Amino acid sequence: MADHAAELDTSIEIVTPENIAFQYRVAGPFRRLPAYLIDLIIRLVAVVVGIYVLMLLFETLGLGEAGRGAGLVLWFAVAWFYGGLFETYWNGQTPGKRMMHIRVVSADGQPIAGWQAVLRNVLRFIDGQPLFSYQVGLIAASLNRRFQRLGDLVCGTMVVVEERQRLDGVMRVGDPEVLEMAALLPPNFQPSRTLARTLAAYVMRRVYFSVGRRMEIAQHVAEPLCQRFRLPPQINPDLLLCALYHRVFVHETEVQPVRGSSPFGKMGTGSEPVGAGFGRRGSGEVPVPIFPDAPRDDYAVQETPPEPPIPAFPPAWRQRRR
Amino acid sequence: MKVSEVLESRRAYWRALEELCTKLRGRALRRMEAATASRFSSLYRAACADLALADAYQLPPSTVHYLHQLVARAHNQLYRSRAFAFRAWLYELFVAVPQRLLADNCLRLAFVVFWGIFAGAGLLAYYTPDFAEQVVGRDELMGIENMFADAKDGRPIDQSARMAGEYVYRNPTIGLMCFCWGLVFGIGGLYIMISNALILGAIFGYMAKAPSATNFFHFVTAHGPFELTAVVLCAAAGMRLGFAIVNTGGYTRGDSLRRTAKVVVPMLFAGVLLFLVAAGIEAFVSPSAIPYELKAGVAILCTLMLLFYFVFLGYPRRSARATG
Repeated sequence: MADHAAELDTSIEIVTPENIAFQYRVAGPFRRLPAYLIDLIIRLVAVVVGIYVLMLLFETLGLGEAGRGAGLVLWFAVAWFYGGLFETYWNGQTPGKRMMHIRVVSADGQPIAGWQAVLRNVLRFIDGQPLFSYQVGLIAASLNRRFQRLGDLVCGTMVVVEERQRLDGVMRVGDPEVLEMAALLPPNFQPSRTLARTLAAYVMRRVYFSVGRRMEIAQHVAEPLCQRFRLPPQINPDLLLCALYHRVFVHETEVQPVRGSSPFGKMGTGSEPVGAGFGRRGSGEVPVPIFPDAPRDDYAVQETPPEPPIPAFPPAWRQRRR
Repeated sequence: MKVSEVLESRRAYWRALEELCTKLRGRALRRMEAATASRFSSLYRAACADLALADAYQLPPSTVHYLHQLVARAHNQLYRSRAFAFRAWLYELFVAVPQRLLADNCLRLAFVVFWGIFAGAGLLAYYTPDFAEQVVGRDELMGIENMFADAKDGRPIDQSARMAGEYVYRNPTIGLMCFCWGLVFGIGGLYIMISNALILGAIFGYMAKAPSATNFFHFVTAHGPFELTAVVLCAAAGMRLGFAIVNTGGYTRGDSLRRTAKVVVPMLFAGVLLFLVAAGIEAFVSPSAIPYELKAGVAILCTLMLLFYFVFLGYPRRSARATG
């Protein structure tokens, strides 16, 4: 599954000298075009202002004509070497790239060297053909996985997205219903990694779905779990997954169910008001699994729970303990 | 240990790394203390370890995504772009490059093609009456003839400076474009070079028998050697790069391109440098009122320097062959 995702995604995996693989998202034309336009504006402004200042300067020195010459030198330098110099000294970024949060790196993830920065910007001319419409570059970029234009292909560089994301904590699913349900789960249950990942992804996104949709999605996972835990089949699948999530990710402490208010008691009546976002399934409704033959091996119960040690800075060599 | 506890225990370190990344991006890099640097690297290694263990910790996907980005950011701050090491470039420019250039078949080919066509067009224009007109165009020829109709007794210095700017803008741009077109399988740059050689040769041949021939040669002698060599160098660099797609030497086409790119950059650099020097000579020496013998002396000196560079510095040595 991961391989298919990698084929579809625009992410590139990089292995660092620290022997860790991390992923970059490759920057496509819709991020690089604004960066290019920003740089273009900066270049134009720099040249116009520069020529104006130079001409004023040489005028006061009494060498009026020389100002135009100096302006042309500036124009030449900016036209061919603006990108190369910025990318060399700004670690692969120009002002436009910095604003769009993209960066040029080597195809193997290393930072670029000066010659790569200069050459890929000189070759921008051929990518810009015909007539600076960038058709050549666009076609070349769409023909390879890393969106490399010709200049990038020659220098072995690529442009990656450097986004920053807020660190979310664990989702809070602390409703009393969830806690009750969590207490009913078998105490020695330890989910497999894929199940844990599925739970996390589901709970993170369930707030964006309608109640009916939550049921539909959750029941594919909840049904085999119900059979394993010997829970009544009409149990609310959304509630079950939230309880499992709570058990796995949030808290270990046992919550005693409130006497006389088992969550199963409420099931199937369908008359209570819907609280806390947990929809209820109608009594006579028979769930229709969309993929009845979906593999169920992922939900295997692990006998020995993994408990990796967590020192302040976990040394990497202790990871294969189990 | 539950995931929420893991996250709580690690969160402070990740935040610290994030803050350091933001700080290092700016100017703080130069005045960074040793303690900060080692703190940064240990935080980075810890984040790497966390990412490696993310699966074992059963971290949620969004946290794993966050870790990927955090490690990528820190990686980019730790491994930074290498600027030009000028000592290494000097060695490259005066020791390694000349040896490569003398043995470079593309440069030989470009040299022969350029000068052959230049000489051929010159002879044709000299001996056949309307060859130059057909190649260059009647109006252009008239313009050039008028330009050299009266002897120049030097220009004011500011006008020379303006012309220097114009030459600096115009000539290396032609060279760089010639290089870029070379990427089209090595023959794209050939077209620009051949057309330049044809036009220049035709102008030379035409002007040689025109009444203003003395003025013309007064002007073009001094900067000729550098400028024409620079064109050849740029075109050869482009040809070499483009031909790497055709003759891969056993590598894949992409790899062959990438290997050649590194070799080609100093060649291009040398070409642009020659263009800049030639622009200076063209603007300040060529139009000045100094006697023709001096200008010819400059041209001879330039030619000797080029010969020294290509032949003396470039003569194959055993040590160089052994190492490289």
